[in-house]
Parts: sequence; structure tokens; C-alpha cells
Amino acid sequence: MSRNFLILMTVLLPLFAVSAEPLAAGADSQLEAVPTAPPVTARELIAGAIDLTRGRTSYARMSMLVHRPDWERKSSLVAWTRGREDALIRFTEPARDAGNATLKQGNRMWTFTPKLNRTIRLPFSLMSQSWAGSDFSYNDLSRTDKLLKFYDLELIGTDEADGHLIYTIEAVPVDDAPVVWGKEEIVLRDDYVLLSQTFFDQSLIPLKRMETLDIGELGGRVFGVRMRMAKLDEVDHYTEVHYLQADFDLSLGDDLFTLFALKSGATPESLGSAGIE
Amino acid sequence: MPVRLLLQLSRRNLLRHRRRTFMLLLAISVAVSGVTFMNSLIRGFQHDMREAVVVNMTGDIKVLAPGYRDDPSIENSFVLADGWAPDLPVDLVDGWAARIKVPAVILSERETRGIQLVGVDPASERISFIGSVSYAGEPLASPEDARLLVGKALAEQLQTAVGRRLVIMTQGSDGLNREAGFRIAGIYDADGTGLEKAFVFTGVSALQRLLDAKVVTEVSIRLREEGSSAAEGFSARGRLMDYFTGLDVLRWQELEPQAAAMFAFADSAIFIWFLIMMGALIFGLVNTLITSVMERVREFGMLRALGMRPGSVVVQVVLESTLVMALGVLIGLGIGSLLVGWLADGIDLSAWAEGVELAGMRSLLVPRLLPGDLLLVALMSLVFGVLASLYPAWRAVKVKPLEALRR
Repeated sequence: MSRNFLILMTVLLPLFAVSAEPLAAGADSQLEAVPTAPPVTARELIAGAIDLTRGRTSYARMSMLVHRPDWERKSSLVAWTRGREDALIRFTEPARDAGNATLKQGNRMWTFTPKLNRTIRLPFSLMSQSWAGSDFSYNDLSRTDKLLKFYDLELIGTDEADGHLIYTIEAVPVDDAPVVWGKEEIVLRDDYVLLSQTFFDQSLIPLKRMETLDIGELGGRVFGVRMRMAKLDEVDHYTEVHYLQADFDLSLGDDLFTLFALKSGATPESLGSAGIE
Repeated sequence: MPVRLLLQLSRRNLLRHRRRTFMLLLAISVAVSGVTFMNSLIRGFQHDMREAVVVNMTGDIKVLAPGYRDDPSIENSFVLADGWAPDLPVDLVDGWAARIKVPAVILSERETRGIQLVGVDPASERISFIGSVSYAGEPLASPEDARLLVGKALAEQLQTAVGRRLVIMTQGSDGLNREAGFRIAGIYDADGTGLEKAFVFTGVSALQRLLDAKVVTEVSIRLREEGSSAAEGFSARGRLMDYFTGLDVLRWQELEPQAAAMFAFADSAIFIWFLIMMGALIFGLVNTLITSVMERVREFGMLRALGMRPGSVVVQVVLESTLVMALGVLIGLGIGSLLVGWLADGIDLSAWAEGVELAGMRSLLVPRLLPGDLLLVALMSLVFGVLASLYPAWRAVKVKPLEALRR
């Protein structure tokens, strides 16, 4: 039951990765700034990460593994996103779940089950429930820029590894923030690749953690291609998302993020609006 | 008719068989004290039930927007004029409160629950249970207080504590979702976990800000106990209806028909108990009276031979029965009242708390003795006494003086 946009960004919008050119440029300028760490603030880091996603579109094919002590389930899904507002996710495997889909338009979400041939608008009471049986909740999928709005951000550590600066940011929700966590700890690389995000309860006991297991390059971008969300108070409870294919900056029409597309199983190709810019 | 003489005769007959009279008195007083005690328990239950309904956010009379009962959301709300107060006699109204009550979802780090979120003005909530519960932490300070009061059972489910933040999600007046973080001011310990799990309180102004609407969903009015008779309730309702045109003005009986039906049933239950107890007693009474009459066949024959009219014979037997009954009723009421007094602190039913709660009662059943009930028991017992003596009296009248004297 996380409530943070970063998860959405990293799981379903692999847009944290900057494209190759700015990354190279960044590296150059950093070389000159060494040895002292560049004067970045936590706010700038988070805002920068968010800005990367503004207006961008993406397509991704991925597998999801839900792991429990006594069982495991693997499924495949495809997802299209546009900016931080719109997303369409569709399961392709296993056959039992194939066709199940979730549509997000801003804060509103719908699910579609082909077996019932029904779309259901998710009431807010359901938003904190587990999404597709995983350790992600619907809320995890629907967050926007809460980190900037409702948290006091502080850079609490800077490290260096593999030629990158690693920033640790502590995010403490402001007093009336609609956030249940006591604090969050976000570890971010200087190219905005999220390395981990830990959620603490209000007595500052860590409850769950999202970790990047593999960083790779897909669709011309570098980002965490394998990520795991684990419950820390339960042994062996985690969900892993593995990116198999990704494309960015496609032209996706408005008609993809509609109830019609959700129900009809449409793809950008079938809608005739596909194509890489 | 020489009543004094008849009284004297009756009294002597009773005293002649002291043991028999004593047993009869014992039977009557046990029955009457039983009925009295049972009555007070039923009254206690009835009072509890009404109290539970009225105190648990219903009130005696409630003003609601039409449609709120079908869809209790902020869309079915109304604007209450600033400075409004019920236009009712001061000695009738115990208190009133304007609230917002909307369904909401409450989230902690670990759990999510559906609840009723109630925006209140803490000063006016002495009319509901929240005004008299005990707290860990502190109560709300004002209508502006944007903190929460959470029930103990709910706090346990959510695994949270005073001072922690919870997130509330609910629907605003524009139909869109609202969410906000609220700190817990206090955790209340109500009588029964049902309430604790259902209601979460915050300041009404704070909630209005969250919902973007300067409205309320209900006005609840509590009447003084002595004033809350059906007639008073109806007239108060009429006055309110005149003011709140277009809104639903409902009495608690209409809001909680199930409780109202139980309440009405309790009235009949008192009567049914009385009939059962007295029915059993009456056969004993009749039997004893017949025995006593049959023993005195010669005496009645003699009296008749000396010129006593049949009517006087009847009166004599009826008087006997009534005397015993009156004495028994007095003793019975005394014993019953003592019993009730002995249990005045209430009977602890907490061992069966869950079942008891289902029946709409509290875990402490306090018997209630109503003077009206005592009078009813006394009068009805006397009527039953007279009825019971009619057959023996008829047997006494049937005695033929000549035959009786020859025996």
C-alpha cells in the first residue's frame, strides 16, 4: 500500500533514465566539478526525476513475478504510458489472466476482465488493495508528484559507485500530508536511476522496500530493468518486475487511454496511431 | 350491607388457618416480586436500547436531507443557517448537534478500514456517546480541530497510536476523492466494539474544509427524558418540519425501526410476563379458596339460615381473597423493590458482551423501577384476585342452608 509516484515511475514508466546524450553531457560537467559533490538539493533531484517524465510516452513489455513462501506466480504484461497521467496495462500471460487490463486517467482507474466483459471503475476504497495479487497496490499505480507536494526532502548522504554519484534522500511527510508513512528513504543515482526506496512506519520501522536488482539499457535508456518490492515485516513476500522490452517517445493517440481501448483490447497499431517519432 | 361485619369475618377466617394463609401470601409475594423484578429488567433493557439508539448518533429527532438515508454521502447534505437553534421549549430539548457524517476509508501504514467519518462540534456532543467516553490522549478541542478521535478497537486493527497520522479518503462535494492526513488526538473507549469500529470523529469545520462544502448532513436533537413521550416527540417534530421544509425530519422510531419494534415489544413482554406468573398463581389461589369455602359449608349454611343474603356471602369470599392479595402484593412489591435496589449497580453481562451487543444492549444491565409499572402490577393483581375468588364465591352461594346444617 505504497503511496508514491516513484514506484509508478520506475515500475510502469521507465522514464527515469535519461537518454544517452544528456547523460554524457552530465558526465562531462561533473568531471569538472569533482572532487567536491555538485551542489544539488534533494528537491532538485526529485524534481529533475519528475521532469523527465513530463509529456513522455512509453511502451514496455515485462514480466512480473509474485513470490510467496509457498507459491510463486509469473505473468507477462504490456504497458503504454503517457506522461504521469495516463497508463494502460494489459496482461498477456498466463492464459488465465490474459486480457485483464487496467486503465488510468489521471486519478481515476478502471479495470477490465474479459471473462466478465465488464469494466469496473475502482472506488477509492479499493485503491489501497493489492493490484493483480502483487505487492503493489492500485495506489502505487496512481500516484503523482506527491513527493514534492507533501514531503520535506533532505539529502542525507552522497556516495560514489561505478562512476556515479549516489544520493540518499530522506523524505518526511509534512504534518497534514495524506501519507501514512513515517518517512521514506530514496537512493537515487545522479542519472536519476532509482536504486531503492524504503518505506518506514511512524515509529520508523522499515515496512517495505523497493530495490533495483539490475540496471540495464532498453530502448536507448538506462534504468532499473529488474526491480523488487518486498515486504520487510513478512519473510519471502515480494514482487519482481522485469523489463523485457521498452520503447520511448512513441506517438500515442488520445484514443489509447480510453474505456473503449480498455474494453476492446486495442493497441496503438490497431488504432492506427502508432509509430515512433 | 354490613361491610364491617364481613371484613371482620373474612379476617377471622384468614387468621384461623395461619399456615394456609401464610403459604398463600408467600406464593403471591414471590409471584409479585418476580414480576416486579422482571419488569424492571425489561425496562432496563428497553431503556438501554433506546439510549443506545438515541445516544449512538441518532438522537430523538433527526433532520436529514432527503435521499441521505439511501445514499449517505456529502451530496445529500444541507446548509444550516449560522446561529440556528431549535425553536422548541427549553425544558424539552436536552441538546442538539449539527454534524457531517460521511463514509470514508481510513488507512494506516499497515491496514485499511471503511468507517463513518463524523465531523462534530465537540461542545454540543454531550448528547451522544462520544461526549461521555473515556480517552487515551485527549478529546477534540473545537470544531476547527483537524485531529481524529478513533475507537480503541479500530486503533488496534489499524495498529496505530495517539499522535500518529492516519490518512482519510472520502468523496468531496464535487464527487471527486479527497484525502488528507490527520493526527490522532485521542483513542476512545466506548461501550462495545461496534461503535469503536464504526465511528471516527473530527472537527466539523475541519471536515467541511476537506470536503469543500459549508454544509451539514444531519442535525440531531435530543429531548429530555421526561419530555420525550410520543406526543411531545410528535409536536417537536412538527415544529421542526415547519422550519426545515423540504428536509426529512424523523423521530428515532422511524430512523431505527428495528429498535423501535423491539422497544414496543418490550412493552408487551411486561404484560406477557405478568400473565404467565399470575396465571400460575391464580390456580393456586382458586384451589385454596375453594378448600376454605368447602371447609366452611356448615358455617355458610348457618349464616344463610340466619338471614345473610347471597350477595353478602359473595362479598365475604371476595374480601378474603382481596385481603390476602393486597397483603401479598404489598410484600411482593417490597421484596421486588429491594431486589432491584440490591442490583441497582447493574448486572454485569460483559461475559456475553458480543451477544448482548447484538441485541442492542450494553454490557451493564441496570434494572429500572417505574412507579407506573408498580401501580399496574398492584391493580392488575387485585383484579386477578377478585376474578379468582368469583368461582369459590359462587360455590359458597350455592350452599343450601338446609343441607349444610344437616351435615
